Amino acid sequence: MLYYVFTLVFFLFDYFILAMGLNIQYGATGILNFAYIGFVAVGAYMTGVAGMPSNITGQHYILGLGLPFPLNTLFGGLSAMAMAVIVALITLRRLRTDYLAIVLISLSLVLYDFCNNFVPLFNGADGLYNVPAPLTKALGLNVNSFIVVFACVTGVVALILWFVMARVTNAPLGRSLRAIRDDSTVAGALGKDVFRMQLKSMLIGSFYAGIGGGLLIQFGGSFNPTAWLPGETFVVFAVLIVGGAGNNIGMFVGALLVETLLIHLPAFLPEIPGHPGLIEYIDSALVGIVLMVMLWTRPQGIVPERVRRAVTFGVPDRPEIDARELGSAEVLGAPVAAATEGAK
Amino acid sequence: MSAANATAGSPPLTVDALRCEGLTKAFQGVHAVNGAAFEVPEGKITALIGPNGAGKTTVVNILSGAMSSDSGRVFLGDTEITNWPAYKIARQGLLRTFQLSRELGGLTVLENLLAAPAVQAGDSLVNVLFRPGLVRRQERENAERALELLEVYRLYRHRDTRARELSGGQKKLLEIARAVMASPKLLLLDEPMAGVNPALIEVIGEYILDLKRSGVTVMMIEHNLGIVEKICDHVVVLAEGRTLATGSMSELRSNTAVVSAYLGEVINAGAAH
Amino acid sequence: MSLFWLSVGFGLVTASVLSIASIGLSLQFGITNYVNFAYGDFMALGAFFTYVFNNQVLHFNIWIAMVIGSLLVGAFAVIVNRYLLGPFARRFQTTHYVLIVTFGLSLVMLNLIYSIWGADVRFYSMPIASALSIGPLRLTVTQLVVIGIAALMIGSIHLVLQRTRLGKSMRAMSDNTTLAMTSGIDTKRITTLTWFLSGSMAGLAGTVLGISEGNLTPASGELFLFVIFAAVILGGIGSIYGAMGGAIIIGLATEISAAFIDPAYKLDIAFIALIITLLIRPNGLIARPGTA
Ligand SMILES: Nc1ncnc2c1ncn2[C@@H]1O[C@H](COP(=O)(O)OP(=O)(O)OP(=O)(O)O)[C@@H](O)[C@H]1O
Ligand SMILES: [Mg+2]
Repeated sequence: MLYYVFTLVFFLFDYFILAMGLNIQYGATGILNFAYIGFVAVGAYMTGVAGMPSNITGQHYILGLGLPFPLNTLFGGLSAMAMAVIVALITLRRLRTDYLAIVLISLSLVLYDFCNNFVPLFNGADGLYNVPAPLTKALGLNVNSFIVVFACVTGVVALILWFVMARVTNAPLGRSLRAIRDDSTVAGALGKDVFRMQLKSMLIGSFYAGIGGGLLIQFGGSFNPTAWLPGETFVVFAVLIVGGAGNNIGMFVGALLVETLLIHLPAFLPEIPGHPGLIEYIDSALVGIVLMVMLWTRPQGIVPERVRRAVTFGVPDRPEIDARELGSAEVLGAPVAAATEGAK
Repeated sequence: MSAANATAGSPPLTVDALRCEGLTKAFQGVHAVNGAAFEVPEGKITALIGPNGAGKTTVVNILSGAMSSDSGRVFLGDTEITNWPAYKIARQGLLRTFQLSRELGGLTVLENLLAAPAVQAGDSLVNVLFRPGLVRRQERENAERALELLEVYRLYRHRDTRARELSGGQKKLLEIARAVMASPKLLLLDEPMAGVNPALIEVIGEYILDLKRSGVTVMMIEHNLGIVEKICDHVVVLAEGRTLATGSMSELRSNTAVVSAYLGEVINAGAAH
Repeated sequence: MSLFWLSVGFGLVTASVLSIASIGLSLQFGITNYVNFAYGDFMALGAFFTYVFNNQVLHFNIWIAMVIGSLLVGAFAVIVNRYLLGPFARRFQTTHYVLIVTFGLSLVMLNLIYSIWGADVRFYSMPIASALSIGPLRLTVTQLVVIGIAALMIGSIHLVLQRTRLGKSMRAMSDNTTLAMTSGIDTKRITTLTWFLSGSMAGLAGTVLGISEGNLTPASGELFLFVIFAAVILGGIGSIYGAMGGAIIIGLATEISAAFIDPAYKLDIAFIALIITLLIRPNGLIARPGTA
């Protein structure tokens, strides 16, 4: 029982991390990254091989650095960022939305296809297995207590990442990203280097993808290429849209509702005899339907993007101006008072 | 502006904030801009006029880097900025507004202004993570200035409204206020008064004069020649993508070639206002 | 017979399937201006509808079942546009939403197909075809029929586009929707008809893919979609004739390279072609104004 609960807790926090990463890319910056799961996969794989020693036989893999937790996970996050640089350089500068979506979703599939086939480097369809479970030796954990401890560790990581993300999205950086999302031409006309900003957003988001992927592979202990098909990206989009694009807390709510309740809870249901996988299929279809219904009835999500009020910038409220403006609303012809001091 | 300036050949008496020569731009064979060349004198208000489809907006798009030109050169002061990316031109102090207001709809009115200063400490991830004090201080300063501007532009009351919820006229005001917030040296306004009520036209005219007083060079596209006559020092006439004439409004009206060739009805109609 | 000519034969068959599929995708893109990411699942649906009429009820001849299956997907596409994609596209300014919805639709359709027909590999019941030699090529009768169907579809789509009022309206709409609307074209009707055509072509392509590959699985259409993307982008997205050309190039390129590298990397070859095209000629080989 404890085992199940903490499995759910782990997925809740892990998808909270993943959704925050997609949220800065799509929710804040408007980049329709249909290859998101590819970045998660890169993070997962690189975390795996960074953590594994170089001397395991029977599997083909690169590196084998034997890095301890959390360094291996950090390595996974950085690897996903490296991939973001390459992808952004090829695609972001030149492609409009639908081309970008096509290229990214294709990239995601090709990554899968390549890993799945290329045995010498990625071990083909077998992927990685026996990825070391972190902290087991140091804390003397067994299979059950590992789940509990690792779910809690993931929770702590998620909270730290949430704190950082909240800072970023509330800062001028986050506002510039949202400006680009709303109208990139205007952002450019205001002196924002749109490509550089989009690259930053891709990098930050990919780091989150990589960390989330790294935690996933250590939790499960293996890397199976089929877990990273393009459709998985859709699950993260569902978390994001249901929770509320542009809101970090919304990502937690979305992860809770979509990932934990909608996807993982039904996995504990017994199979229907004679119909292997039926529950899973219906469940996956349900995720798509929930997303469409949500997008139609409440496109802003359960927790909509915050309105950042003037008072939050540390300036005093001056209701007397409100009153004056209200009073003079109809006499717009009156002479303008002070010169525009703001202008140079 | 001296009358000599309108006579071909004599040197301009004022410094030019912006100069362009031989600009061309074609869209699938349509020559929207076809050799436009003119100067924008420093510290003055210049009007860019011409019939619909003359290529005025396209010229502004080229000058501000929103579009690249097919040929021709643009100078901002002494710097050649031909086909620079928009953001670099903006960082040189050339700001522009759009004919159809383009508000950042998901941001509040205040945030629209806060997004305007091109270089902010808080746009750097390092500062955001490790120097929050610096970022917060700059944000407060910017917010104070933005609220003062909103007060002047009568949008203070709407500071916390998402910009997409404003009325058309309010969006026009926001469009100007946002560009002003970016501390322009040179401001290109694309029909700042189109579609707003007559009382507000007066007010916007005052804003533009105020900008001039505070040292900003302005170029505005405007169809209402009454306004042009009232507030602009210098006029550039564009027709079919070419500069037809430049000078003051009275010079243009006495320039029979221009009047008979192209603008007779327009100018006389404008004078009747 | 050399490996090369063998792979050319396969390439022609793949190109045939690909051109049917690419035309269908391009027709719809030209009119609605957004990509249908569920297109691969429309193909799978067609393959399984055909399977039903071929193997499960009535036991029609494969070609008759194919026609029925294709038309049913056409009808399905009309319904999907009417009640799902159309409303989303009209309601939201940015294409983001409708793209996400087609992505979601793909997930829903795939999983429903899995729920109904399961994950097993299935086979059409059709006579074992004999092989014929044509010049250096050696093709089975079935493969020849597949190529013939593609040629027939290309020819009739060409005639429809050039000779009929429907075709002219479609071309006008894909050039400029608002202009077409103001010049009195019933854009709603054209959109519906386009979805019907696009869906039918998807269904046909899905079935033909199953026939040429010798089996069908729910995910085969989705995998094939990415090869279609390569063909369509190569030809210039939204351009019908470009799609035909792109299909032939990608079809031959993937099969010939498969013969010499490893068939497992077909997708990767197509993807590399796609990336190279985007880097060098982002508007496609046949540049079409206003689409990039
Ligand atoms: N992005 C574009 N694509 C194709 N044609 C364009 C584009 N922008 C402008 N044009 C064409 O270029 C010509 C000039 O347009 P422009 O908007 O510069 O005119 P304008 O002088 O600003 O007119 P108005 O006074 O009506 O605003 C027009 O014929 C227009 O149709
Ligand atoms: Mg204009």
